[in-house]
This record gives sequence, structure tokens and C-alpha cells, in this order.
Amino acid sequence: MAYHTLLYGFVFLPLCLIAYQMVPQRHRWKVLLAFSWLFFFIISRKLLIYLIGATVITHYTGVRLELLHAHEEKEKEEAAGRKKKEIRLKYQKRSRQVLSLGILMLLGVLIYLKYYNFFIHNIESIIDLSFLPFALHEKNLLLPVGISFYTLQAVGYMADVYWGKIRAEESLGRTALFLSFFPQIMEGPICRYTDTADTLYAGRALTWENLSEGYIRIFWGFFKKLIIADRLSVIVGEIFGNYMEYKGAVVAVGAVAYTVQLYMEFSGCMDMVIGSGQVFGIRLPENFRQPFCARSAAEFWRRWHISLGVWFKTYIFYPVSVSGIVKKWNSFGRKHAGKYLTRLVTSALALFPVWLCNGLWHGARWSYIFYGMYYFTLILAGMAVEPVRDRILALLHIHPDSFGWRTVQIAKTWLIIFTGELFFRADGLRAGLHMFRSIFDGFEIRQLWDGTLFGLGLERADFAVVAAGCIVVAVIGSLNERGLIPRIHSLRLSEPVKWCTFYALIFAVLIFAAYGDGYQAVDLIYAGF
Amino acid sequence: MEKLLAILNEIDDSIDYVNEKKLIDGQLLDSFGVITLVSELEDAFDISIEASEMIPANFNSAEAIWNMVQRLQEN
Amino acid sequence: MRKILKRGLLFLLILILLLAGCSAWAKKAVVSKRGSIKGRSRVFADIAAEKENTLDVLVMGDSESFTSISPMQLWRQHGIAAYDCGQSGQKIQETYYMLKTALKTQEPRLVLLEANLMFRNPGRLENLQSAISEAMLYHFPIFRYHNIWKTMFDSSATLPDEYKGFTIRNSVKSYDGDENYMKETSELKKIPEFVDIYLKKIIEICQGKDIPLMLYSAPSPVNYNTAKHNAIQDYADKHNLPYLDLNYKTKELKINWKEDSYDKGDHLNVFGAEKVTAYMGEYLAEKYDLPDHRGEAGYEEWDRLAEMYRQEFLAVKGK
Repeated sequence: MAYHTLLYGFVFLPLCLIAYQMVPQRHRWKVLLAFSWLFFFIISRKLLIYLIGATVITHYTGVRLELLHAHEEKEKEEAAGRKKKEIRLKYQKRSRQVLSLGILMLLGVLIYLKYYNFFIHNIESIIDLSFLPFALHEKNLLLPVGISFYTLQAVGYMADVYWGKIRAEESLGRTALFLSFFPQIMEGPICRYTDTADTLYAGRALTWENLSEGYIRIFWGFFKKLIIADRLSVIVGEIFGNYMEYKGAVVAVGAVAYTVQLYMEFSGCMDMVIGSGQVFGIRLPENFRQPFCARSAAEFWRRWHISLGVWFKTYIFYPVSVSGIVKKWNSFGRKHAGKYLTRLVTSALALFPVWLCNGLWHGARWSYIFYGMYYFTLILAGMAVEPVRDRILALLHIHPDSFGWRTVQIAKTWLIIFTGELFFRADGLRAGLHMFRSIFDGFEIRQLWDGTLFGLGLERADFAVVAAGCIVVAVIGSLNERGLIPRIHSLRLSEPVKWCTFYALIFAVLIFAAYGDGYQAVDLIYAGF
Repeated sequence: MEKLLAILNEIDDSIDYVNEKKLIDGQLLDSFGVITLVSELEDAFDISIEASEMIPANFNSAEAIWNMVQRLQEN
Repeated sequence: MRKILKRGLLFLLILILLLAGCSAWAKKAVVSKRGSIKGRSRVFADIAAEKENTLDVLVMGDSESFTSISPMQLWRQHGIAAYDCGQSGQKIQETYYMLKTALKTQEPRLVLLEANLMFRNPGRLENLQSAISEAMLYHFPIFRYHNIWKTMFDSSATLPDEYKGFTIRNSVKSYDGDENYMKETSELKKIPEFVDIYLKKIIEICQGKDIPLMLYSAPSPVNYNTAKHNAIQDYADKHNLPYLDLNYKTKELKINWKEDSYDKGDHLNVFGAEKVTAYMGEYLAEKYDLPDHRGEAGYEEWDRLAEMYRQEFLAVKGK
């Protein structure tokens, strides 16, 4: 029952809304929790036990850390000045143990379920394991839906409590809702406690504004997913599924089509998710900010899957960058290696684990690890050439913000993105490398219009709809980029205009969506990660 | 404070640090800038900045950074 | 809360009016543009486009139905006007709305239901989803025919005519398994609850219009066994429906499993269908009051199609 199904939009969500509204305000969050667990159960059945287990671990780790903080404060108050540091260190050690235990348990489950087979498979290919007294086999492990998302959210919560950024949640049920809220369980966004907690527990009454705007947002997601992404999925499946048969421009088209498909799908799903939150008056953070306006690979990742990037930045990048090793390098480097190199190596040290985890998070495949390393290399290279580039620009009298230079940068970033997604989608690293090479083998631009593209399973009319849909999304995107959407919003659109927009959206989806005859329903891509 | 402004200007001298209140939220200072800043601060003021301090609120303005430095010096 | 209800209802009301308007238009467009709808909706579009009050027998069911009864042969031998409105893997919800769609313009004298679909069970959630979506597709055909905008782009994309829901499949892939596949057993295969719900509705409709409903099973070693037969027989007895299981009559029909199937005993090819239809024709002509329309005014198209069918059949038979 994914978010783009009839059952979700027209049965599950309305039932939840009715139940939510009928219950007194202070109990409303319980309705959300009940529906969240029901949602999880419908999709993953008995695996609900994993979610409940993670909730219990997260909650009591939080409570324990809070208790330690309280004890620390009390002891500090009683103790004299000099002993304060001692007390602090003592509690720091204990808190760290509690936090580590919590994180280890959660990550342990995730790693076991997600990476066990990959691990065994790769070990077996290196050494013969038959000498072991017990047999290691690849297992058929079922992944609970959203485990990659809620695990990160749980770890983030515990770390925030540990750092004292937030106070631990006192009620187990509320922690459970924070981790399992049904709109975000499948594909995120990965929320921080401070992002959602307030509105999640507030139990605000439904309002017409929230309902209508939330549902418009949901239909906007349908528009992206059902009209554009699901159509492109046909040619993407064809090209990537039979990659040996294609070369040249067709493979390039495949890479572009997949990138567009992934964006429309994932950001469309986020529209459904954020809209689903909004109908209850719950504000979920945005996960995309016009990623195709990015001028560099680094900026792309600040605009694409934002919540994952923020998570990695907060819980991996910064902690690593203030860790002992990096600090040691820093003071050593500044004395002996010069500023430029020091900065570069520091960034590399902090970035490497981020991109390794980013690759691995998507799944246990070498091609994902490659994907992570690809961006690691590109972002680092971008930093390395920055001073040289700036000097050249200055010499040529090109303003770094001029339209021409911006266009060049955006085009370059697009190439980087398309190439990255080619490897991301390809069926394994070997297939990815093969496809990448085959682009340059007999590249004929003619293939784009000589009819080759129409042999991939989509009719001319479908291409026309995809193009028109992309234009609509691009126009809305550029309005957003210029910050005009909130301004349009603040004009307080008159009710009739809003209704017409909504009807137009409904009928666009109704008529042009890729459903019914000749189309296959396509599952959400990111729900598989 | 003078010392702090000098450090900041060395990282990026195109920003008006005295009046800017959104160094992080406005994306004027990116994460690489922040970690460079952190190492400079640690050296200059002999403090130890931990992961828990790495929040936007501590880096959004020169004043906020200064407050954090003073707080850490007291510890 | 008042505001939400008031505005929400008004919004939905306008939406329903718009949907109904579009649906009325789509329905007309589909009838005037035959062959513009592809895939499983084609049957709905085609049955709706059939000339009013011309059909006497509706053959419903999954692929077992439209691979076993050939309307053109019924026409040639008995002058019976039958139509295959089965779909591949037809769900019982679809059967129900197919019948309702057909009954809007037709007054058949017999509904013939191939019983294999009585065991299709995609699970409760899927069933619920189908129940909702099929109802929507029926009440607002704009959902079903929404792809019709494509023919405005490319008007040459119309599909060739079919023989009243039947197409000639002449390839051969023999079934080499046991020919006595209906083994003695007293077991009953369970009929899923949703099938029961919708079959009851179908029975009610037929009773209301005084149309006899008959169950039959096409010969198919892959799909049938005695446990299924028993369950269907049991169901038929309980609801007073006649049931004819041709899996017990393969000898009498002279089905040759080496030649009469195109996919190893799953479905019959045209040669198998001709044998089943010959038997069924006799059976129906004897048991039911089905007029002979040959030569009648208004049925000219049938004679033309029957001739085309005969030519095509002779051509593939000669191979």
C-alpha cells in the first residue's frame, strides 16, 4: 500500500483523518501511532517486531542518557569547582557507553539484515570457508519496510540526547510515533526530533486550508510520479535491462531518463509524504530543493535527498572532523604542509566516511560503493581545483556569478549527475562500466530522432507527455528557486483559483497518468533502500 | 573578538561578519568552512570544540561564535 | 469542522459532476472510435459498441473462456449470436462489471460463465483494491478509457477487428502429460470469499432479468482437477445453476492434446476451440431457447465476419 495507490489516498488516509478528528486533542497522536503501526503491518506484517524493538531500544537509551545528564548536573552542583571536570569526564564516559550500546544494537540489526549476504558472498569469493566447523550460507532475510530510514532517525535522536541538544522523550508511545509516523516510514524524510516532534504530538484540529493544500501537494506528487516517472520507467527498464544491445546515444538517453525518473519519483513521493503530513497540520522537512539548479556536485547533494545529507553531515562529517585524528593532522599539517593541503586532507578525512556510508546505505552492492566514491572523488577534486579555477576566471575577467559561467557550471553538474545515476541504476558495477564505455562506442546523435527511441516501448504521444510534464515541473521549480511560491501563497489565493488548480491537477493525473492498459504499476524506488 | 574577525576574514573575506546573522542558515559558510574555522578557533583560543557544539546556532553569526568560544574557555 | 464538511462536499460534488461529464464524453468517443482502446479495457469498449439488442449469449470468464468458444462457429452452425467478453486473468470484480456494462445495451438469453476464475485469489487487500477500482472504472469510464487522448495524436493506431471477442490462435504446443488428469477425489478446492460475494451479485442480476446463467469448464489439464470440479459442482448445486465440465468429455469432443493446445495444455488453440464450440453449439441449441438470426436484417455484419473467419481458419488449417 504505497503512497501512490488508491487504497492509500482514498481509503487509508481519509479513515485516519476521520479517526483523528473524532478523538479529543490530547489523544490524537495515539490515533496517528495506531495507524502508523497498521500501515507498517499491512506492508511488512510480522516484521513490525523490528520496528517495535528499535523503538524500545531508542526510547530507553534516550531515557537513560537523560538520567545521566540529570545526575551529572546534580553532582556538579554539590561539588566544588575543581572537581567539576572530573565529574564531567566520568559522566561523559558513562553516557558514551550507553549511547554506543544503543547505536550498536540498532545498526547491528540493520547491518545484519541488509549486508549479511553481501558480506558472506564476498568473503567466500576470497577464501574458502569450508574449514569452518559450521556452514555459512547466504540467507533469505526479509527487510522490514523503511528500516534504513527509521534506523538513521533513531540514531540521530539518541545522539541528540547524548549531546544535550534535546531532552529525551518521556513517553514510549511518543517516541514510537516519532520513529514510525506512516507518511515518512517508507522513504523518509529522515527527520530530526526537533523537526517534527512539536506538530506530531500537538493534535491540531483539521482545517480546510491544511486539508486542501495537503491534498494538492499529494496530487502534485501523483503528477510527477504517475505521469512522468512511470512512463520513463518503461524505457529505463528496457535500456538497463538489455544493456548489451544498446550503445551510443541510446545509453546516454537511458542515463538521463533514469535520472529524471528517479527525481520525479523520489521528489514526487516526498510531495505525497509532505502533503500527507500537512493534512494533519504536521510539518515535515523538505527533501529536495531544485537539485538541477546546482552548480557543483557538492551543491547538488545539498539540494538532493537533503535529509540524508544533513544526517551524514551532523552525525558523521562533523563528529569526524572534530575527532582526535583529524585534529592532530590539522595541527601537524598547518606547521608542515601549508594551508591548502591541510584543508584538503582534513576535508578528505571527514568526507571519506560520509561517502562510504552514503554508498553503503543504498544497499550492499559494489556499484553503490562505487557511487559513493565517485562523489567523494568529484567533490574533493572540486575543492582541489577551486583556487586555480578562481585565478583563471579572474584572469579572463569572467564574473563567477555571470549567466554564462553559471550555465557552464550547471551543465557540468548535469553531466556528473547523469553519469553517477548511470552507475547507480546499472545492474552491478561491471554492467555500469560496460554501459559507460558503450556510450562512446558508436555515438550517433542521429539516434535521437531517427526513430530508434520509439522502439523502446514508448509511443510518440508518451514522449510528448513526458516533455510537457517536465516543462511544468521546471516552471514550478524555477518559481520555487526564485522564492516566488511562498509569495504567491502569501497573496492568499482566492478559493476559486485554488479549486481550479486542484481540479486541473486531478484531471491531468486522471487522463495522462501511466495507468491502466499498456502500463505496469511501478513500485517506489527508494522504498527498496 | 578582533582575533575572531581576523580568522573569519581569512576564511572568506567577502562576508560582512559584523552584521550577518545567518552564516549557516543562509549557506554563506559551508561545512568545509566550518571545519576550517573550528580548527583555527581551537588553536587560537586554546579550546576544544566537540561534536555537540556543531549546531547552526553556534555558528550563525560572529557574535554566536564568540559566545561559544567564551563559554568553552570557562570550562 | 462545519467549514470542512461544507466545502469538502461542495468540492466533491463538482468533481463528480466533472467526472460524469468527461465519462459521458469518453463513452461516446469510444463507441464512435472502435479499436482505439487497447488491452483489457478493449473488451469493455467493444461490448459497449456492439449494436443494441443483438447478442443472445454472453461468454464470460478468464482466458479459458475466449480460447474455448468461437462465436463465429456458433453463428455458422446455429445462427446463435454470441460474444466472448472474457479477459486474460479476469477478476470476478471485472466479470461483474463486464456483465453490467453488457446489460446496458443487450438483452441476452443466456450468460455462460467459464468457471476457472472462481479460484482466483490475489489476497484480501488486492481484492479490496479491485473492488474499489473496478467500481470507479464502471461508474466513471473516463478512468478506464483515459488513454483515448492518444488516438488524437496518432489516429492510425486503431486495432484490427476481432471475431466477436475471439481471435484465431493457430500455433501448436502439445500437452504431453497424463490425459486422465481428472483423478478421483472427494476434495473440494476452496472458493475465495470475494468470488462468492460477486458471484452472488451476478446471480441476482441474472435472476432479476430472467436470464439463465450457466457454468462451464473448458478442457485444460493445466487448470483443472477434480477438487476444482467438485467445488464448482457443489456451488452450482447450492445455487441451482447448471454446470457442464468439459474436462470429463475430452474423449467425446475428440480433443487431441498433441494438436489442440497452443501452450502445453493451458489453453486451447483454434482447433481445440472449434471442437468445444461444435459440442457447445449442439448443447445450447437443445437446452436453451436461442433463435437463429442468420439472414435476419441487422445481422449483415455477422455474415461478413463469419466469412472472413472461415477464410482465415481454412488458411491456417491448410498449413
